[in-house]
Amino acid sequence: MIGVPTAILLGIVLLLLLLLLAARGSTVARELGSAPDLPMLDDEAGLDACPPEFVARIFSSDDWEFVSGTRSRQLQGLFRRERKLVALVWVDQTSKAIRRIMREHTEATRQSHDLQFATETKLALQYAELMLICGVLFLAIQAAGPQRVRGLALYAGTLSQRLTQAQQNFKTVTTGREFHGAGSS
Amino acid sequence: MTVTVKLVPVQAAYDDLLQRSLSKISCDLARLIYLASTRDYNTGTYHHDGLAARFSPDVAGKALEIAHRQIFYQLSAYSLEQLVEQLQIYLDCSHESPADVLRIWQKLEPYRVAIPVEVSPAVARLFLSNIRLALAIWRFRQEQAPKHP
Repeated sequence: MIGVPTAILLGIVLLLLLLLLAARGSTVARELGSAPDLPMLDDEAGLDACPPEFVARIFSSDDWEFVSGTRSRQLQGLFRRERKLVALVWVDQTSKAIRRIMREHTEATRQSHDLQFATETKLALQYAELMLICGVLFLAIQAAGPQRVRGLALYAGTLSQRLTQAQQNFKTVTTGREFHGAGSS
Repeated sequence: MTVTVKLVPVQAAYDDLLQRSLSKISCDLARLIYLASTRDYNTGTYHHDGLAARFSPDVAGKALEIAHRQIFYQLSAYSLEQLVEQLQIYLDCSHESPADVLRIWQKLEPYRVAIPVEVSPAVARLFLSNIRLALAIWRFRQEQAPKHP
């Protein structure tokens, strides 16, 4: 049996380790995924988010089954390498997007006067969960390949959309209040 | 009101583009290459003389841009098997030797310029990766096929 302080300490160490892995994986994805291949996609602020059906496609095993059917080791190796990189680019894009959302949210909360503790805690927890999942995904994709982590990737995609939606709702409400405030004064 | 006035001609130009040009092209891969070729390398704006004459250069450009993005996402969502089929149709319809086209595509990767601006990096990477794989699979099949004298 381990005590509560030890468990908390272990949890913090694990969290830091995963964040470190996420940062490392993010660098790997940036180096491999964008530098030589996609030079025109550096500025991601105005780019489309990855639609959910593509998340399912990237992590699907259908293409792998098709490539396996060729019985060519060379093609199978090429597929594993290529799909791993695509998956890492997706995780990198997702983690960047959620960091941007949280940055925007932090800026918006600074100007807001009636913050709700429960909503803010929920958002912070969702953010932490997503960052943790991204860290796990970076590690798992590199170790086991994208097809094995399909469920987790789909979950991360859904959670990321939920976080984006929550931030948009917050923005709408805040803007609405400011508008009414300005109108009544 | 202004939005409706602006959107209606774009929709009409898009439909016109679909009916007069895109429907006559053999496959989605060829449609993508065609639409990407209407984009200016320096400015990123789209040009189509016939469409611009019927509507306006701005409306024609917007319709081409929408069609380009749409076909790009459609093609990127294809399975590898479907993409190999697309490649086969594209090569069959091109007036060049398939082996030559394949060699140049693998060497120069000209399909990179077919990506619209501001699309998701993950989808763009998936598209490039799938084309690369489809080319390798097509080549593999050609090498495996029995040679006829």
